[in-house]
Amino acid sequence: MSSLLLNPHKALFTASSSFPLRSDVNAQILVASRRAATRIVDCRPRASRDSFEAEALPETNAKKKNANRKIILFGSSPPPLSEDRSGAAGNGRGKPGSEASSWGFFQKALKRALAVLSNLPLAIAEMFTIAALMALGTVIDQGEAPDYYFQKYPEENPMFGFFTWRWVLNLGFDHMFTSPVFLGLLILLACSLMACTYTTQIPLVKVARRWSFKHSAEAIRRQDFADSLPKASVKDLGIILMGAGYEVFLKGPSLYAFKGMAGRFAPIGVHISMLLIMVGGTLSAAGSFHGSVTVPQGLNFVVGDTMNPNGFLSFPTQSFDTEVHVNRFYMDYYDSGEVSQFYSDLSLFSLDGKELMRKTIRVNDPLRFRGITIYQTDWGFSALQITKNGEGPFNLAMAPLQMNGEKKLFGTFLPTGDADSPNVKGISMLARDLQSIVLYDQEGKFAGVRRPSSKLPIDIDGTRIVIEDAIGSTGLDLKTDPGVPIVYAGFGALMLTTCISYFSHSQIWALQDGTTVVIGGKTNRAKLEFRDEVNGLLDEVPELVSIDQNLNG
Amino acid sequence: MIFTILEHILTHISFSIISIVIMIYLMTFFVHESVGLPDSSEKGMIATFLSITGLLVSRWISSGHFPLSNLYESLIFLSCSLSIIHTIYKMGNHKNYLNTITASSTIFTQGFATSGLLTEMHQSVILVPALQSQWLMMHVSMMLLSYAALLCGSLFSVALLVITFRKNINIFCNGKVKNFLIKKFIFGKINYWNEKRSAYKNTSFLSFRNYYKYQLTQRLDYLSYRVISLGFTFLTIGILCGAVWANEAWGSYWSWDPKETWAFITWIIFAIYLHTRTSTNQSLQSTNSALVASMGFLIIWICYFGINLLGIGLHSYGSFTLTSKILNN
Repeated sequence: MSSLLLNPHKALFTASSSFPLRSDVNAQILVASRRAATRIVDCRPRASRDSFEAEALPETNAKKKNANRKIILFGSSPPPLSEDRSGAAGNGRGKPGSEASSWGFFQKALKRALAVLSNLPLAIAEMFTIAALMALGTVIDQGEAPDYYFQKYPEENPMFGFFTWRWVLNLGFDHMFTSPVFLGLLILLACSLMACTYTTQIPLVKVARRWSFKHSAEAIRRQDFADSLPKASVKDLGIILMGAGYEVFLKGPSLYAFKGMAGRFAPIGVHISMLLIMVGGTLSAAGSFHGSVTVPQGLNFVVGDTMNPNGFLSFPTQSFDTEVHVNRFYMDYYDSGEVSQFYSDLSLFSLDGKELMRKTIRVNDPLRFRGITIYQTDWGFSALQITKNGEGPFNLAMAPLQMNGEKKLFGTFLPTGDADSPNVKGISMLARDLQSIVLYDQEGKFAGVRRPSSKLPIDIDGTRIVIEDAIGSTGLDLKTDPGVPIVYAGFGALMLTTCISYFSHSQIWALQDGTTVVIGGKTNRAKLEFRDEVNGLLDEVPELVSIDQNLNG
Repeated sequence: MIFTILEHILTHISFSIISIVIMIYLMTFFVHESVGLPDSSEKGMIATFLSITGLLVSRWISSGHFPLSNLYESLIFLSCSLSIIHTIYKMGNHKNYLNTITASSTIFTQGFATSGLLTEMHQSVILVPALQSQWLMMHVSMMLLSYAALLCGSLFSVALLVITFRKNINIFCNGKVKNFLIKKFIFGKINYWNEKRSAYKNTSFLSFRNYYKYQLTQRLDYLSYRVISLGFTFLTIGILCGAVWANEAWGSYWSWDPKETWAFITWIIFAIYLHTRTSTNQSLQSTNSALVASMGFLIIWICYFGINLLGIGLHSYGSFTLTSKILNN
């Protein structure tokens, strides 16, 4: 029974001998035509090209030779671009002279490579493999030292019986997303995309655009959806179709209408935008700069000092000679005390001191300047400014303290007494954010909380301390990425073309056969809705009560 | 304060209504076709949709930000989108035998969200600075809509597989009846193809059981194709919005974060689904693509839930740990 499922055509033919159908011939042609007609992206240029061409262009005899020649040119040997343009001159396949042999060899190799690459099952297998490798990349911890893998995937006790650290390190799974295996597969997929687009989709578009009338009622009846209206005029049908949004062409007794042509172009657009994204991504990976820096409020740095190149195409630009000055770093808080946003007021100066730009950045709102982008990513506590017994102000540097969890903690120490003695005692001050400082006395007991803005003094062990200011430091990430415009273009194109390819390309043929109109139609995606729609439209065609001699217009 | 009470009430209303609706569906399934009940179940679904939407809106108002900042809210949004799909499908079609899938998905997600497992996340929390962006609405809502659509479509495909291979298993089991059933199957198929060619040319007698089963599988196949292509469009837009947002916030549009990677894997699997549908062998096409879509179902759950359970990477806003209630029991 399973073999029956796998080979229904066989079942069809065996059954036809026992149950009389309308016509076996029709059934066979139905199968063949459906195979040709429903194939949208099947990347097998050779086998079905002829039958498809026979279905779609039986009538344009005048153009047939040229069209045939053009299509045969594609089908049998996809030519390099120069030959395509000289197509009118005939098959300019081989150049005369001594170059013929090497050129011909190159052409044959190219043709064979294209045929192999545009195989759809191969592309599907590639996609599966890439997906599997990516899944593996999330399971195996990336970027650790080799020692880690020695311990995690030991040879004495291999996972699943064979998976040891040798697999991980030799195949590059510890840096999966930049490993040669993964990148090679991506390149292969890109080649398959290009080959498939070139050999199959572009010719398909050319054929789909060449609309043709069908001049025989049989040809029309063979469509997926076929019907006939006994007393009707093809012109009425044309008007109703136009009202429903179709583009209608009427030539004598025959009619051709289509809608949603964009749905045919869109898959090409999808593939091209994916290629664009890949190109942009490659450019990003090879040619960008990245750096991060933590700058206390009030200090500055030069852009070029912080940046590191990413790949072999990274070239520093003129804008690297800019100096960035952190005017102010501050944070906003919710009523509950949680941080709501970080702000850094930055000024950019050229090296001779002229101010070029000033902007306050925050998370999700970076600064862009001549190709460089500065992001607010982190923050720190640089120093605490206090006065002690009226003297000062002193700047005490704050150090980050290790704690479990994500919250930061900074602390500093103000020694009372001899600072050089080994058992130095002093006042400790801790802070989670720039808002409030917690003070502890010499024994480590809690002394009080102060806010820098209040300027209230606190007495601890006889010392009067006033917290003047909390100086924060901002964590900035700098980046320049030449591939971003290309990638964004690819993103936009991909979003648009994916939406468009949801539409269905519907075609309707009709023929005035005496007083009957024979209608046939097909669509590539929305089959059920198409049938309902056409049924509805056909219901609206007026029935002619008295037949006029001047019916055919 | 009003809004928290309102929220509370709406949560309970939505959960109870949808439980009732599921009960009604189950009853109509077992106790065939009680007259007044399908109508009330439709109304029940609309009521559920309205109450879930009301819940989300009241959360939005009370917390001041779009209600999509942690796992609980995203689950509510998911059940809302599933009920949207259910309503759209109901408005467009008259046959409603696929309600069981959409309605039960809604109840499962809603039930899980409101259950005791996630109580610590029920309160609305304030947004951390990285989430304070317009992109939050666009990216997360697109992703959840796409998850809903893709889940529906994959469930249709799973149903298709179950029906197809159940037929197989039955026929395998009954040896003597085998030939008879085979003939019925072919006959039903031939007649269906005839029917497809010309909608108005009805040939005569049909083998009822297999014909309807075949028609059901065809319909499931078609529906899953349409729903999955819609979900694929949303998924594409969602992933790309996320990439643009990441570039604005963190400086890099793709950093191979586990959640990003798994979303990409989901995208690839459904792209494979769409490509397998172009193959020429008709029944093989539907079975193959249904297999791929079923794989996609599992992968969506890994992408949505599994990564959040691990709690690693830049997307850790959605992470959670099962409450101590479960662990202590």
